[in-house]
Amino acid sequence: MNFGFTDDQLALAATVRDVLRAHCPPAALRSERRPAWEQLAALGFFGLLLPPEADGLGLGLTDVLPALEETGRACLPGPVVETAVVAPSLLPGVPKLASGTVCVGVLPPGQAYAADADLADLLVVVRDGGARLVGGESVRLAVRAGIDPCRPLFEVAFDTSEPLGGSPAGRPAVSVEAALWRGTVATAAQLVGVARELLAMTVSYARARTQFGAAIGSFQAVKHQLADVAVAVEFAAPLVHRAALSVDGAVPSAGRDVSAAKAAAGEAATLAARVALQVHGAIGYTEELDLRFWLARAWSLSAAYGTAAAHREHLRSEIVGGSPRRYP
Amino acid sequence: MDLDFSPAERDFRAEVRDWLRTHVPGPLPSMDTPEGFAAHRAWEAELAGARLSVVSWPEEYGGRGASLIEWLIFEEEYWAAGAPARVTQNGIFLLAPSLMRFGTAEQRERWLPRMARGDDVWAQAWSEPEAGSDLAALTSRAEPVPGGWRLSGHKTWSSRAAHATHGFGLFRTSGTRHKGLTYFLFPLSEVGVRPIAQLDGLPGFAELHFDGVYVPESMVLGQAGEGWRIAMATTSSERGLTLRSPGRFLATADRLVALARDAADPALADRAARCWVEAEAYRLHTFGTARRIMAGDEIGSAASMGKIFWSELDLRMHALALELLGDRAQEWLDGFLFSLAGPIYAGTNEIQRNIVAERVLGLPR
Repeated sequence: MNFGFTDDQLALAATVRDVLRAHCPPAALRSERRPAWEQLAALGFFGLLLPPEADGLGLGLTDVLPALEETGRACLPGPVVETAVVAPSLLPGVPKLASGTVCVGVLPPGQAYAADADLADLLVVVRDGGARLVGGESVRLAVRAGIDPCRPLFEVAFDTSEPLGGSPAGRPAVSVEAALWRGTVATAAQLVGVARELLAMTVSYARARTQFGAAIGSFQAVKHQLADVAVAVEFAAPLVHRAALSVDGAVPSAGRDVSAAKAAAGEAATLAARVALQVHGAIGYTEELDLRFWLARAWSLSAAYGTAAAHREHLRSEIVGGSPRRYP
Repeated sequence: MDLDFSPAERDFRAEVRDWLRTHVPGPLPSMDTPEGFAAHRAWEAELAGARLSVVSWPEEYGGRGASLIEWLIFEEEYWAAGAPARVTQNGIFLLAPSLMRFGTAEQRERWLPRMARGDDVWAQAWSEPEAGSDLAALTSRAEPVPGGWRLSGHKTWSSRAAHATHGFGLFRTSGTRHKGLTYFLFPLSEVGVRPIAQLDGLPGFAELHFDGVYVPESMVLGQAGEGWRIAMATTSSERGLTLRSPGRFLATADRLVALARDAADPALADRAARCWVEAEAYRLHTFGTARRIMAGDEIGSAASMGKIFWSELDLRMHALALELLGDRAQEWLDGFLFSLAGPIYAGTNEIQRNIVAERVLGLPR
């Protein structure tokens, strides 16, 4: 029993954080479509989860979880989860994935639109009939309004595609499900990072902003809201860490644990966004303040890979409708 | 990072589970009645006979030297087995960690083995009528006399004091506020005890009146004037974790899910599933905390986040059980009333939120 990240796992996160601080500052969110992508690629970020025969490091999802949290913390744009986490599980044979020169988009089941599809060289579309791989050149995209300026949504149409994973006569679509689970957990890790950054920015503002001759952070009404955010994040994070272990270890409760992680992380991040906006007041309600990017990311990622409501429904059927067993 | 129990930990779990299966009694009368207190004390003696009453203590005091992880395993099994509430809990979870860290060898040998067997049952005496959340405002005093001290003043909300044998608490020996407080042990036989009926009608706590109660020097824990530091020091280590282990909430969540299954109301089932996941989150978080403590870290004010989380979860679970059962909630009533106390005792949740905001997040006082 050693439920904490190793020094190596934390060191990887620290390296990613340094790169993102240098190459994905808030100003870059206004001026670049895909900041820090090349620098992350140079670091080997996109090969972390790929097997060695695909020029990767063969790490598990758990190993890269703190690093993924950093990508959320930096509000990093682009299909990071799709390219660095989903693709290695679903498309390990695609050449150049490890180098970051191939960018992958995913349209998960239950979602109408594909995020960041404008950047995708390859698009994976998962529907009831299974998963299909679409080349970027044969996709027609129509932009759709979304809440996140750095994570645009697209309606996707295509004429040619090839089946992935579970073809009707082939093996079952287990690999697609497992790949989506990985993407869901990675997104939950990003949400934890978004929530932590929202909390940090808001604490910083509440210490600096004075009214009635005192920092507004000295008022209990403000303190207690921020304490509630801290508690929500503190108890969402272990569910995310556990989901990564469950997916890596293919334990029987993996699907349930993934839903618990995504629901809790999404709710913590939306609470963090709500409180961040309330504590900032009118200045938070502007496009000028960088806070807007993190607010938007909390909302957009909460809707990605299953809303909290969808995951809560899954949890209800697994726990109340099924036989809840604890692992370990 | 892993979530795997070692073979030794799995063996320990199996041993505890087997023992509890054959020894756990049926429901005992409330520990706040004379007969219930006696029954709970007898149960503590039976637990101690199997060296299961204080598994994490050193062997010389009646424990097994179990690790924090093993203690968490014990707690999971204990509550899952429906075993009785711990009448000794104020002593073994609040006083004992301080005794082990700050007590003399003589004090440890004198008090810990008796506590482990339930021979002595300890009541806490922190609050006073004018010092609740603001504990440092306390005014009870201890005056030095030859060979010891005389205690005078008025304590209240002293849990278990109606039937317990001994008490522990802070008394002013000099200074103001946090400075000049001293940590005393005392026999309740010398103290005026007025039992106070709680919401369930039973005297779960009491007022204590000290009218020049003499205690010898050997009843001072640590140095005179160091009481605040001693009382607070252990909150940042084991006690921050052991006040309420996840095991009891996991057991409650399992019972709640079984109720929701029978009720077949999707909205209530959704809330039950949410509680079950939150109990899991507390369990996982605690495994992480245990790892840090075993590595020598202090968890400090972060313990306040845990207190907020488990106390409000416990209340939500019991309130939901009452919603699910309507007027057939008899088996949940005691637990419901007890869960209502959770956000109040051991520092109200308003105080805990202040601590989180000021000491974890760094907001100004």
